[in-house]
Order: sequence, then structure tokens, then C-alpha cells
Amino acid sequence: MRYLIILAMGIVLLASDATLEIVKSVDNRPSVVIQDASEITSSRLKEKFFRLLSGDLKVTAHFKVDDTYRVAGYDSMIDPLLKKSDYLFRYRFKEGSSFALYLDVKVFDLQSKNAVYERSYRVTNRARYPFLVHQAVIDFNDHLDLPNVDWMKRYVVLSQYSKPKHADIVVADYTLTYRKKIISGGLNIFPKWADRNQKGIYYTKLADRPTLYYYNIYTGKQRRVITSDGMLVCSDVSRDGKKLLLTMAPDGQPDIYMYDIEKGVRKRLTFYSGIDVSAQYAGLEKKIVFVSDRLGYPNIFIKSIGGRAVRQLIYHGKNNNACNVHGKYVVYTSRESDNAFSTNTFNLYLVSTQSDYIRRLTANGVNQFPKFSFDGESVIYIKHYESQSALGIIRLNYNEGFLFPLKGHKIQSIDW
Amino acid sequence: MKKSFVLAAVVAALLMSGCSQKKPEVDMTKQEAAEETAPAVTEADRGISSVVGTEEVGELSTIPENVRMAKIKEIEASAKKIYFDFDKYNIRPDQEPRVDEDARLFSSDIAKDLTIKIEGNCDEWGTDEYNYALGLRRAKTVRDALAIKGIDESRMTMISYGESNPVCTEHNRECWAKNRRVEFELLP
Repeated sequence: MRYLIILAMGIVLLASDATLEIVKSVDNRPSVVIQDASEITSSRLKEKFFRLLSGDLKVTAHFKVDDTYRVAGYDSMIDPLLKKSDYLFRYRFKEGSSFALYLDVKVFDLQSKNAVYERSYRVTNRARYPFLVHQAVIDFNDHLDLPNVDWMKRYVVLSQYSKPKHADIVVADYTLTYRKKIISGGLNIFPKWADRNQKGIYYTKLADRPTLYYYNIYTGKQRRVITSDGMLVCSDVSRDGKKLLLTMAPDGQPDIYMYDIEKGVRKRLTFYSGIDVSAQYAGLEKKIVFVSDRLGYPNIFIKSIGGRAVRQLIYHGKNNNACNVHGKYVVYTSRESDNAFSTNTFNLYLVSTQSDYIRRLTANGVNQFPKFSFDGESVIYIKHYESQSALGIIRLNYNEGFLFPLKGHKIQSIDW
Repeated sequence: MKKSFVLAAVVAALLMSGCSQKKPEVDMTKQEAAEETAPAVTEADRGISSVVGTEEVGELSTIPENVRMAKIKEIEASAKKIYFDFDKYNIRPDQEPRVDEDARLFSSDIAKDLTIKIEGNCDEWGTDEYNYALGLRRAKTVRDALAIKGIDESRMTMISYGESNPVCTEHNRECWAKNRRVEFELLP
């Protein structure tokens, strides 16, 4: 009996470590079928809406989603052939006056054949349809008391190149299907959310000298924070929003600084003569994790703020040049082979600052810009594979990955 | 001799006083007012107008701004770009003669008064912040090399454009190699 308890405890402990891959699990998730009752003539739009809805349901990782596209009247009877599934998600898109778009949702429990609930959603501009879908899926998920997926309605901020030496800053939904340009003109790069509620961003404008600005995305007001020669990037913001981790290069020497916004005082944290960049808070903001070439190639290191010792965090890979931190977890990109230009070039890995486990998250292609979700349970990234690009989402606790095809301009940097 | 000089002076004074009496009367109040407001002017021709000659020529040392900028762009175009290996920021041996040429150009009479903006660039392979830092370190390596060759550091500024400023947009090795570069912008 004692062994059984220890074994059970071991399983609980292992399961709480996201670096451990779930190899096999019993799939007892509720199954969902989808029916489209939209009053829209364009079949292209109908397909778009269906794909986003089915994608959203899958990305929660809480459902077994039937991919078959089915059409039904919104108030029609339930087809008896569907009763093998647990739930029916019936939806209806309707165009309103001006540019408004409506989404009605009716959910049925197929076992009891009862309507579980019915709700309506609206956006004033139909370009914002992804938010209709995200909200409807969040509500469905919440209604079944499944783990929270509110990260779906958070914004992603990104910088995208428009032409040489020009990049715009764009706010998007998490699938990057909806995008709204907020800053343009010149080279605007490295946007970073300034607060947990996503009211403002920090970004760098690269003119003659790089300047860091704060920009309120709701009022459009901006203020200059700091200017530096050579390079200036805000790589992280403290939880209280009062301190920034910056990469600055006053004499062409990229080092990490901490900047106190209220006092306007900066403190240098690294003193290496090569490259130190991408610092992020770790360990209750007493430490920083950063990228450095102090071993002759880019790799991930950790140090205490104010301390002198620097510890190598990753002992794997030839070139680990970007990372993102959430609590004790670090996700990083690693070049797999000595051949810089082979097809299998950059993969994502997950490690913990408190253990030696490494978990590979991607298997092929060039995978860049990994960012944790707000709750740390998902990772968003950009994937390039065989001349196609996609936005990837990895649900760490479920060991599942999803891709949304991307079109348009090359992305410079993203933050979630 | 002395007597005749004094006499001549007296005669001259008499003649001049005689002339002044023939002048028409003018309104002196107006003239005084004009003298009060007009700024004092100092003649600067140092009497050159009295020097006998035929034709006067003056060559202006300044040239119009647009002509000057065109000249600067011409010098800028003759500067050599410095190319780098993948993920590296040291100057390759085959690029050293090009750095020498740039040092000679920037210290020549036509360029010695210009500010040099050193721009570091990368290929599309790096990600995120590291790529911008790599571009900056390339710029710094070139700046340090130029400083050793006698270019005043105060004339040089550095910036990194990361992968944002490609000269070649195809996805092949030749193209990436062209993009891993330092180039110069000359400013007045």
C-alpha cells in the first residue's frame, strides 16, 4: 500500500512538470460536432468561419472535435446520426446593418437531446469576427467547467516589415487572423506589453538613434522613455510594471540594463565584452535569464540581479539564440545541425530552471519567436516550413500543437 | 619751404570754405533721424576699390546644399561594403583590404570632414534581438578597425538594422551572404 501511495505521488509530481512529455493518455475528452446555420451567401466566408471555430475548439485541447463541415437550419431538429457525440455546437453568422456581424450559438447535449444554452454575440466591424469566435468558444469551455482558456481573447502585439528599414506595429488576435496597424512610419520594432492588462506597449523606433517609447493602445498617446546609441530594446517588464529590462549599447556593446521608470535610473547588469541580450525576469524577479555569446556561440544563461556569477542554463544545441521565460520554465530556439542552411534548422525546446529535463516541442522547420501565454500553459511561435509560414500554438499540458497558416509580411518580433 | 607749405594750406582752406557756401540747403533734421536708425557700417574692402584694375572675380568656397549632398552620396557609393560569415562578427582576412580602402577614403581630403554612420546588417536567419545585436557588433568591429587605421572615433556612429535592410531578398546562400554586411552612410 505504501508503495502505491509513493507511486501515485510520483505520478502527480511528474505530471506537474511541463518539461515531461505526455507520451500516452486516455482520451476521455467530450466530443463535439459542429453545424453551420449561417445566413451568409459567400461560401468562402463560411469556410473561413468554420475553420476558425473548429481550430479554436481544438486549440483548447479540451474536446475531440469532429472536423466534418455540416449544415443545418438554426432551429431544426437534431439529426439522430449525431448522437454518438457528446455535444452539438450549432452556430449562425448574420450580417447586420453598417459593418456589424452577429454570431448566434446554440449548444445541445446530444445524450439528453436538450439545448444546453443559447447565446448571441456581436461585433460592430465584421473584420473583428475572430473575437466573436474566440468568445463563443471560451463561453462553451467555461459552461462545461473546463480549465480556463481566457488567453484566447488576449491580444498579440507584433512588428512586421513593410519594406527595407520600415516596420509597422500591429495588434492582433492570438491566431493573427485579425490585425490592426497601430504604429507606422519608419522602423518600429520590438513591441512589448507594458502591463498585464495590455493597455500599453513599449517599442523601439529606430531613427538616427534608437529611442524607446511607451504607447497607450487605447488613447494613441505616446511618450519617450529613453534613448541610447547603437541598440535599445525592452525585453521584459516587471510584474508591477515599474521596472524594465533593456538591452542597450552605449558604445556598440550590447549589455543588459535594468531601468527604473519612476526614478529614471538605469543599472547595468551584465559586463561581458561580447553580446548579452534578451533578458527576462526569472525566479520571483530576483534573477534574469538571457542570451549571450560568451562561449563563442549564442546560448542561454542565468544570473542573480546584482550578483556576479553567470551560470550556463542549456547544455544542448549549437546555437540557442532566443528564449522566453515564464516562472521556472524557459522555452528556447535551437539550431539543430552544424549546417546552418539545412531544412531542419531551428526547433523549440522547453526546460525548467529547477531540473535537467529538456523537452523538444517541435520536430521540423524553422521555429522562431517562442512566447509563453499569460498563464504559462501554452507557447505561441512562428513556423516556416517548405516556403510556408504558420502561427503555431503548443498546449504544454496536453502535448498538442496547432498551426494557423500565415500570409503577408515578414514578422520582426511578437509578444503575447 | 615751411612758409610756402603753410600758405598753400591757408589757400586750400579758403577755397574749400568758398565751395561749401555754394551747396544747396538740405533738411538736416531728416538726415539725423536716418543716421540714428541705420546700423553702423564698416567698409571692409580695405581700399581695394582704389586699386587700379579691369575685371574683378571672386570664387565662392561654399557650394549649394543639394550639390554638396550629391557629392557626399558619390563618395558614399565608392565606400566598400564589408561582408561577414554566418553568425560571426570578426573581419575576415579577405575583407581587410576593403577596410583599408575605406580608411583611406574616409581620411582623404574629400571625406575627412564628414561624419560616418556605420550600419550593421544581418541575413534572415537569426531571430529577434540577437540578430540586431549581431549587426551592431559587426558595426563595432568595423569602427574599431577604422579607428586603429587613424579615423577619429568621434566622427563615427553605429547602428544595427538587423535583418530589416536586405539588399537581396531571394532565399539562397549567395543572397544571405550579400546581406551579412556593414555599409556606410556619410553625413555632413
